[in-house]
Amino acid sequence: MKSVLTGLASLLVVLASPAALAAQVGGRDPLQRLEPAVRYKVELLIDSAKIYGLPTPPLVSRALEGMSKRADDRKILAEVTREFRFLRDARVALGPQVSTSELTAAAGALRLGISQSELAQLARSRTDKVLTIPLVVLSDLISRGVPRDTASTTIYQLFQRGAADDDFLGLWRGVERDIDSGTDPGQALLNRAREIPARSPGAPPASTGRPDISETQDR
Amino acid sequence: MSDEHSALDPAVQYLVTEAKRPVTVDAAARERLLEVVRAEPRPRRDVPVVAWLVSPKRFALPPLATIAAAAGLVGIGVVGGYLINRDGRAPTERPQGAVVASQLPDSSPSRAIKFVLVAPQASRVSVVGDFNGWDAAATPAMRQPDGSWTTFVTLEPGRHVYSFVIDGAHFVADPEAPIAPDDGYGHRNSVVVVRGASS
Repeated sequence: MKSVLTGLASLLVVLASPAALAAQVGGRDPLQRLEPAVRYKVELLIDSAKIYGLPTPPLVSRALEGMSKRADDRKILAEVTREFRFLRDARVALGPQVSTSELTAAAGALRLGISQSELAQLARSRTDKVLTIPLVVLSDLISRGVPRDTASTTIYQLFQRGAADDDFLGLWRGVERDIDSGTDPGQALLNRAREIPARSPGAPPASTGRPDISETQDR
Repeated sequence: MSDEHSALDPAVQYLVTEAKRPVTVDAAARERLLEVVRAEPRPRRDVPVVAWLVSPKRFALPPLATIAAAAGLVGIGVVGGYLINRDGRAPTERPQGAVVASQLPDSSPSRAIKFVLVAPQASRVSVVGDFNGWDAAATPAMRQPDGSWTTFVTLEPGRHVYSFVIDGAHFVADPEAPIAPDDGYGHRNSVVVVRGASS
């Protein structure tokens, strides 16, 4: 009887151990589907990111995105490596006092060809404002065909003149609409940027009545 | 009978004769006996395993096994907590529709974001992104009568990259959202920024 009890207790312990439970509920290592050599290198990059003080979720997400899109393991490794470098360069450009969102948005801008010095210039003029939305809009504009230098200079000037998040979101909506109706992307940006009044940094924008991309709007 | 037993020893013959003599029994004795039996409680007929389980037992475990068992129980709590969402509802209990936002506590920085894609020809649409591990099965959208597909996702403040997946294979950016930088995998993603302290 004692041996039966011991066996039952051991079985209970094994079944109830966190690792076993995690495996039972599907909480396995999300990277385990990668081939071992690639997975090892991805984990090295993640460890390196920790050492640099960089956020690791963007790297894991980049790998999972590749798996979801059925990319080759080598391609996934290449993309995780690129993301690591962009995050590291963004950290250098923006400094240590930035959020993960600002850092990933800045990494995205670097991916599109914005230079570290342009990012640093933007960061120097930020005062207490958050860079995430200006950088998101900058990346969107370049992706829609606005020349990189035009987009970078315009966003920087608006930021310096005290444009708020709502101004940038309104700008994005307007430029998108103009491009869809046939206006040259660069010209569309310049036209719309002129509509944004100069403000002292930190002053709230006048209500534009336009929707924004935050939580109040349907995606 | 006498012929039959005449050759026997007299003592044996006596015993045989006594044994064959009819015994006179009181006619009410049987009824009295049955009454006594009926008055007795019915005996319990326990199944051995049940009897073993309900009877008190003593057993001892070494300290290491005790610690391991305790750790296992803690693990159950941790994993259980992981499976329950921040708002205290399990994923299957998560309500659909606009009520999600109002059911979040005011102090929660999370926001319920509605994702909409107009795709009347699609037979299946889901949302993938950095918030669900890019798992096409994690966030299915519901078909609306007008041919659009909608779903809600509760997101933390910050920048989130996402895409729609049509029929489990085709990745499509949100036409109503900012474009994310090139994903490197040959598809285009979208960005949503949830405003908050860390955005």
